[in-house]
Amino acid sequence: MKLFHKKSTEETPLPEEPKSREAAPSDVSRRQFMTGAVGAAGAGLLLGQSALPTWADTAAPMDKPATVWDAEFNPAGTAPQFDPREMPKAGEVIHKFAMEVTIGVHEIVPGIKAHMFLFNGSYPGPTLRVPENEWVEVTLTNKSPENHTIHWHGMMLANEMDGVPFGTQWPVFTGQGYRYLFRAQPAGTHFYHCHVMTTLHQQAGLVGALIVEAKDDIVKKTFPYTRDYTLLLSEIDTNWVNEQLNEMTGMGLTMNAMNGDMKLMGEMNGRMMGWFQDKEAFLKAVKDGYIPAYTTAMVGPNRVITPNFFMINGKSYPMTDPLLIRKGENIRVRLIGGGMQPHYFHLHGHDFWHICQDGAPLASPVRMNTIPVFPGTTSDIVIQGTNPGSWHFHDHSDLATTNNGIHPGGMMTMLMYEDEEKYGVTFKDVIQTNS
Amino acid sequence: MRTPLTRAAAPAFALAALGFAWLYPSQAAAQAQQVPIPEQPSAAPQIEIAGTGVVTLDLGRSRNSTPDGGRASGSQVNLSDTSLTVGAAQRLYKGGIGSLTIGGLALDQTNTGRGTQVFLHQAFADYQDQTLEAYIGRTDQPTAQIVTFPTLRGDDLITFTDLLDPFSSGENVEEHRYSNVAAVTLNQKLTTFENFHVQHLIDSTSTNLGPSTGTGLNSYGASIQRLGLPGLEAVEKVVSYGAGYEHRSVGRSDGGSSEALYAGGVVNLKPSLVNLVDLRVLDNYTFGNNLSSFRSTTDTFRANSNAVTAAVRYLHSPFGKPAYQVSLTAGYKSYSKVSRAGSIGLALTGVKRLGDGFDVVAQYVYQHRGDALSNAYGGAREENALQLGFVFNFDTLFNRSVGPRRSLLNLQHQYIPN
Repeated sequence: MKLFHKKSTEETPLPEEPKSREAAPSDVSRRQFMTGAVGAAGAGLLLGQSALPTWADTAAPMDKPATVWDAEFNPAGTAPQFDPREMPKAGEVIHKFAMEVTIGVHEIVPGIKAHMFLFNGSYPGPTLRVPENEWVEVTLTNKSPENHTIHWHGMMLANEMDGVPFGTQWPVFTGQGYRYLFRAQPAGTHFYHCHVMTTLHQQAGLVGALIVEAKDDIVKKTFPYTRDYTLLLSEIDTNWVNEQLNEMTGMGLTMNAMNGDMKLMGEMNGRMMGWFQDKEAFLKAVKDGYIPAYTTAMVGPNRVITPNFFMINGKSYPMTDPLLIRKGENIRVRLIGGGMQPHYFHLHGHDFWHICQDGAPLASPVRMNTIPVFPGTTSDIVIQGTNPGSWHFHDHSDLATTNNGIHPGGMMTMLMYEDEEKYGVTFKDVIQTNS
Repeated sequence: MRTPLTRAAAPAFALAALGFAWLYPSQAAAQAQQVPIPEQPSAAPQIEIAGTGVVTLDLGRSRNSTPDGGRASGSQVNLSDTSLTVGAAQRLYKGGIGSLTIGGLALDQTNTGRGTQVFLHQAFADYQDQTLEAYIGRTDQPTAQIVTFPTLRGDDLITFTDLLDPFSSGENVEEHRYSNVAAVTLNQKLTTFENFHVQHLIDSTSTNLGPSTGTGLNSYGASIQRLGLPGLEAVEKVVSYGAGYEHRSVGRSDGGSSEALYAGGVVNLKPSLVNLVDLRVLDNYTFGNNLSSFRSTTDTFRANSNAVTAAVRYLHSPFGKPAYQVSLTAGYKSYSKVSRAGSIGLALTGVKRLGDGFDVVAQYVYQHRGDALSNAYGGAREENALQLGFVFNFDTLFNRSVGPRRSLLNLQHQYIPN
């Protein structure tokens, strides 16, 4: 059985440094050399530096696109490659994962902790990485007082495996388990989340990345990369989550107490929980006196969900992890809209290539410097190491660059060149917080 | 509502002398009262506004109306116990919570339009962290916090349900429920609480420790209370229980010090989400005072006595929301050194919920007093009252940013000061 406890920002070994300028000559590098030399001279004068950087030392991968982008438009292309209702055949590989839901404490930034639902003790949940078209078996065990499921967002799987409570399965009650089995298709960047009271449960922690690695990776062919980053974007209204989680926990514990008492068990019924077999049963309950919560003004200025922390992989700036790059290197960055708000990620000092959307390669990469990431979507980009330094990479909807309303914070991270000093960048990025 | 307040202790001159002019308040803030360290505009605290409107049409109430013991009937539109309370709370630097609570409550006199209309029943500052709570100011008497009863108003059977203020003239019954308190409450796992306090029980008799304007400490005590898990009150067998001791420094000319022991609790006779039946019991026992007769109503608050109160409540919640409640509260009180002073009280209370926080209510109250006691109450031997009306109760948070300290998550998982 495989367990994934790695952080979702994963690092692979660095590409080898080119031995000499001749090791990576190209038109691009020559152009960079020319313009870079002028720019660096100016910077050197301004900064009083005596040594000019050498701009032509680009690493090989960026300058050596192996193939052209060969994605094709196929009108039938949304059909799953394999019948989702197939079962594993003898000899097929099954990747097994154990996922356990508990309530725990997650620290967003120093001084701000929150009670949250956790998959395997972490927020976000572990990044599941599986080869395309191979089988995935996930055993969910619920050790929290609330009910849960896992919805495999973007997967083309059998209906019973989709993780919608009351829609495709019963929710997984306290102490119970559920086994999900599906073939990893289609390839690309996807994610998973609990589908029980999604507004609360996903915000309260039950979300994680699902990476289905393509067998024939068009991205890698065109943009040879060695580092692959996953940034799961999410927000939380810590006060709302705290209030709701307390309420739900109380309800869950009450149900568990009733479960252990024969007299109380008699009172357990769907209408108490707001569950009805069909519309007719719901209408009858309303006629009998059931009052739907939406009729009693559970909305208003005090109840609107107002996120106060905005996170990348569960952390807000300054605790977000940087993206590391070297000059001439390609890095792949998978952006996942794992929350409830859109975010507009802008990279300073660079353009980048938007290459995949919701897992699927675009018909043609799109050059941009700000990419919208909407809730429930994933966007893959390739950043090319063209401009050494430490560059901000952040949501340009600036509400999301705050912590509890204080800027700077939230969804900010850095693109940091490990070899920036080599190119004359000596200013060290400092961590900022507001006093 | 118990929301906690921060009040910095460092003197203002310390920072002013260092030239931190920017610390001085804005023009608007300057209109407020002086504080040790003037505050620059900062994060807004959490604001809580809680209100209760209790308005009834009372029929047949005859309190203190007939000195000769004869019968009399009366009626009134009663709005006493209607209250509005405002609290402000915020997180402190090291994980504590500070708060300030201020509230006013309509008195019986409000019904007539004469005398004092509103009583300041809450005005206290509170500090709390995981293991400790400290509060100072006007608030509920610590002795009144062990058990509350499901009567319509807090004072319906107050001579049975509360440890009475031996310095009260009896004109204002709220003096038995609220006092000026300085208290520290320790706890173990936010489940067992030990309260140590000193009090100024409101002195409206001017017969005790100097003039009636006296505000000196005249009472101290301690109590212990155990509470069940919040949110599980309907399914746990034992909801809460506690006990306490109180010393009241009554002057020798009034019989000497009055000591009090009290104990009580709430248990679910029938734990249920739909048909809950619970039982509340409280015993207030006082001793040490030498009075053997009543010279005034106040003496009935001082003389040694034992009061037992019990209430049975049925709450029907067919769809997870309360629909109606019926309760019967009964009390018996006797005086150990005063004969023919026993009394009984009954309250049958019905509440029908019309909407969240809004109820139509009906209550019948009966009280019978022995001769000695009825004489001290102006001759009222029996009292019958029928009350019909509405209750509107709300508790709203603005700028929600301070979570409850005693939450399920804090109790069952790691404590977070949020």
